[in-house]
Amino acid sequence: MSALRRMAGAAAVLVAAAVRADPRPERGFGLPHDASLDGHRIDWLIHFTIVALGIVFLAVLGMLVYAAVRHRGAHVAAYDHGNTRKSALVVLGCVGIVVLVVDGNLFGHAVEDLNEHFWNFSKAEADPRAVRIEVNAHQWAWTVRYPGPDGRFNTADDIVETNGLHVPLGVPVILQLASTDVIHSLYLPNFRVKQDAVPGSITRLWFQGQEPGDFELACAQHCGPNHYKMRAVLSVMEPAAYAQWFADAQADARRGYDPDDAEAHWGWDWKRF
Amino acid sequence: MATHPAHLGHPDLQPIHPAPTSFARRYVFSLDHKVIAQQFLWAGLIFLLVGGTLAMLIRWQWAFPYRQVPVLGPLFLRSTGGVIGPANYQNIFTMHGLIMIFFAITPVLIGTFGNFLIPLQIGARDMAFPLLNMLSFWFFLVSQLLVIASFLVALGPAGAGWTGYPPLSTNIGMPGLGQTLVVLALFFTGVASTMGAINYITTVIRLRAPGMTYMRLPLTIWGLWFTAVLNALFVPVLGSAALLLFLDRTFGTQFFIAGAAAVRGGGDPIMYQHLFWIFGHPEVYILILPAWGIVGDVVSFFARKPAYWYKGSVYAMATVTVLSGVVYGHHMFVTGMSPLLGQGFMLLTLLISAPAMLLVFNWMFTVWRGSIRFTTPMLFALGTVFVFGLGGLTGLFLGDISLDLYLHDTMFVVGHFHFTMAAASFLGTMTGLYFWFPKIFGKRLDERLGKAHFWITVVGLTLVFGGQLLAGYAGQQRRLFDPFQYTFIQGLRGLNRWTSYFAFALFAGQFLFIWNFLRTVFGRAEAAGQNPWEVTTLEWTNTTSPPPYHDFDVIPEVRRGPHEFANPAVKEALGRDWIGQAEEMPEPPASEAGAAKA
Amino acid sequence: MDAVLEERGGRRGPAPVRDLEGYRAATRARGELTAYVGMLVFLASWAMLFGGLFFAYALVRGRAPVWPPVGDPRLPLVLPGVNTAVIALSSGALQSALRSLRRGRPSPVAGALALAAGLGALFLALQVAVWIGVHRQGLVPSGGPYGSVFYALTSFHALHVLVGLVALAWLAVRASRGAYGAMRHVAVRLWAMYWHFVGAIWLVLYATVYLL
Repeated sequence: MSALRRMAGAAAVLVAAAVRADPRPERGFGLPHDASLDGHRIDWLIHFTIVALGIVFLAVLGMLVYAAVRHRGAHVAAYDHGNTRKSALVVLGCVGIVVLVVDGNLFGHAVEDLNEHFWNFSKAEADPRAVRIEVNAHQWAWTVRYPGPDGRFNTADDIVETNGLHVPLGVPVILQLASTDVIHSLYLPNFRVKQDAVPGSITRLWFQGQEPGDFELACAQHCGPNHYKMRAVLSVMEPAAYAQWFADAQADARRGYDPDDAEAHWGWDWKRF
Repeated sequence: MATHPAHLGHPDLQPIHPAPTSFARRYVFSLDHKVIAQQFLWAGLIFLLVGGTLAMLIRWQWAFPYRQVPVLGPLFLRSTGGVIGPANYQNIFTMHGLIMIFFAITPVLIGTFGNFLIPLQIGARDMAFPLLNMLSFWFFLVSQLLVIASFLVALGPAGAGWTGYPPLSTNIGMPGLGQTLVVLALFFTGVASTMGAINYITTVIRLRAPGMTYMRLPLTIWGLWFTAVLNALFVPVLGSAALLLFLDRTFGTQFFIAGAAAVRGGGDPIMYQHLFWIFGHPEVYILILPAWGIVGDVVSFFARKPAYWYKGSVYAMATVTVLSGVVYGHHMFVTGMSPLLGQGFMLLTLLISAPAMLLVFNWMFTVWRGSIRFTTPMLFALGTVFVFGLGGLTGLFLGDISLDLYLHDTMFVVGHFHFTMAAASFLGTMTGLYFWFPKIFGKRLDERLGKAHFWITVVGLTLVFGGQLLAGYAGQQRRLFDPFQYTFIQGLRGLNRWTSYFAFALFAGQFLFIWNFLRTVFGRAEAAGQNPWEVTTLEWTNTTSPPPYHDFDVIPEVRRGPHEFANPAVKEALGRDWIGQAEEMPEPPASEAGAAKA
Repeated sequence: MDAVLEERGGRRGPAPVRDLEGYRAATRARGELTAYVGMLVFLASWAMLFGGLFFAYALVRGRAPVWPPVGDPRLPLVLPGVNTAVIALSSGALQSALRSLRRGRPSPVAGALALAAGLGALFLALQVAVWIGVHRQGLVPSGGPYGSVFYALTSFHALHVLVGLVALAWLAVRASRGAYGAMRHVAVRLWAMYWHFVGAIWLVLYATVYLL
């Protein structure tokens, strides 16, 4: 009887996958489309740093090229050991400017981005609308678990899905990650976030989708020969569509629940960090 | 000074031993640092070719996925019909990384130049411990043989990436002998490196010629010495990680095994990452410091101008050495480490860019207002500055945690470390090879072939690794057998294919060097002369090309630093723009008392 | 340069040495100091290797909720404590050998070296006894982190003791044949540095693995 239930559950997932739209491809060499709340901070910082470092690089390159052209061959070299205090200060000054402007900017923004946004889990957890999902990364698929209406994990009403993740639009989604075999890494290019899933620990990640659609979820840590195929699809859904999906999935979960299948009960009590 | 023998009443405390006569003692089991240097050179160059071939296989897979590999496929990939499969692929990129780092760049950049140059440039007749030196080569050779053996076992060689993270690198992920053999090979090459490091450190401290103060050492020696310090301190930490991994694989201990396979609590895979990167980050500085030193000397030599702010460069290299051990956490930002710890590592990582920038500015100011001779070594040195600038700057992106959330484990990381290691260390190695070839072999390499090799290489490296940076910026992960399984990467097919074409061209271009090198070494070529580059360091001014067994007929007495170029007083007295480190400055005529002293 | 060549009758090479005894002594003194510097660097390297292992131990212990973990036997304290005394005595014997050498009294040297080696062998024998004991109580390398750490650290250290005691035994044999004197005992000093290092590692190990 339990085998039949499992087959029914699998069939439901397959049907759902067939009707699901695929993520749309990217064009050009730019950053992937940003569908997240906070991703723009990273985009801004990358681009600012590219411009700033580009200026520094071109300046130094320019000086080298100029020197190569102007000071070649029969030219008489200047006898300068550069070991006066003034010379040292010029060099240290150049270094100081770059360090302050570029490194300082990088550091300041990173601290703010992490503490206020990307790693600000208290803010995410405090939001009453936050959705919590547990992710089991294993060779070579992503299995995710949603708490059912009882709000607790590893209970009879949990929804379990493989290689698909459904989340509602515009609310914080908090993921806790675990792995049963080797280290994997959950990567959402369209959300600019990544976190390793390490056997023996629980790690976490949160994001918020700002537009509906399908986006790819990738594995970013070499985990064996099929690492390249460890792909899932994240669907960010309008509230109505999400509610519909949740209800359908809930019904399937109730039908497919097998109390004797110990392996299927890999969930854990939501970890308080 | 403790090393100045004058106070002991004898001018030369390095007796000349009779040269060996049998073939075995001259070329196989030699105690002569110059022979050992050549042994490392040949062993390293051969494995450089192997590592490069493996890279071509990776690029083939991304340009033409699932197509049979020409020539190599039928030979080495018989079980999959000449096509690269996912299991082969992980072995290929793993061994590519390991071979390039430990068995190609290390023996040539550190083994060859360290062994050849340290005694000669400091004015000694050999290393402090010649027997230990010989043993270091043989341990290294054994490790190379273990690597070869790992290719021949049933399940293939290691396949968990060169970093070998457990649990993938334990029996769970990588069963079979191959991974274990590679772990053993790492242990042996680590022992070889440590033996070499002990020699390098002690020799520079103890065997400098009279007058060779620390601040008169060539920058090459400083680079090699700091590298040796890092080798001595941090390779053993790799040894501890490798030992524990070996114990997990062989005796079932549970240092790194966690999750379902663990018993009673289990181990911590992240602990391996701590140990590995405590070694791994200094390792990347180990691979670049000698190149920095060589470039610092060579740009001075061929700009005919003193190295700008020599002391600043030495302090910069020292600062990098000291800081290298405390920045390693930037490899682990997304493992779930505490934000405070992560931000500490981020701060230090961003700061370590400062001394590296200082070096680049010093090189720039050295060349500025010089009188530049565009010889092949100078071209390669300037090329090193260029690629190191690019590569180093991309490191800043990765040192920033919020950017690393996006860029970690993408091709951007791959582009960054290829620019700094494969490009800068490689070009630095080439700078050294072209520059010291005449001294090692007594002949001149062909300049035209050398220059052609330079242009193909620097353009090729920039295009290939630039392509990797771009792919990473667009989000493509690393270590993917078939990246195009992902919709968001499918638009990058063209980029990947063109990067591969440039890589094939780059690889082909290296045959210019191979041809030039082999033809000159084994064929007839014009004799190099003692000091064809007209530079100031002891190996050029005080001994022949190549040097005799005992290096120096007379141990030189050093009077000045290694970058005494463009000095007007020298021009006046000697009629040239340089004066050797041990050269005596003729007394100025009485009417010019007070004229500049050297 | 020309003046020097002239003095040597046109032959290349260093000037002939006039005071051969002094030259030899100076060369040897310089060589000995070089050997000690090399040994220091070697020991610094080895300290880092053990450092890595102790760092791993600290991490393992830090993340365990209770140590030793529930179900693992406690380690004995007496035999390892005896071993601490044994290895300390061994170092003492070695130091007395060095003192005799420095004072130019070669006769007790071979005996002192043999005693040091013998105490080293006793250390190993007792270590094996400890291993057998805890193994009988159920502590195995594959049984979890506690066993892993214990066996890894103690066996790696024991390996170093083995290398050292073989060397000391060989030195004792050489000493009995009169190989060492007041001015000729670099090998003994070098191995003494190594042996004291191994003893120091034991102290750290005993304190952190057995006592704490």
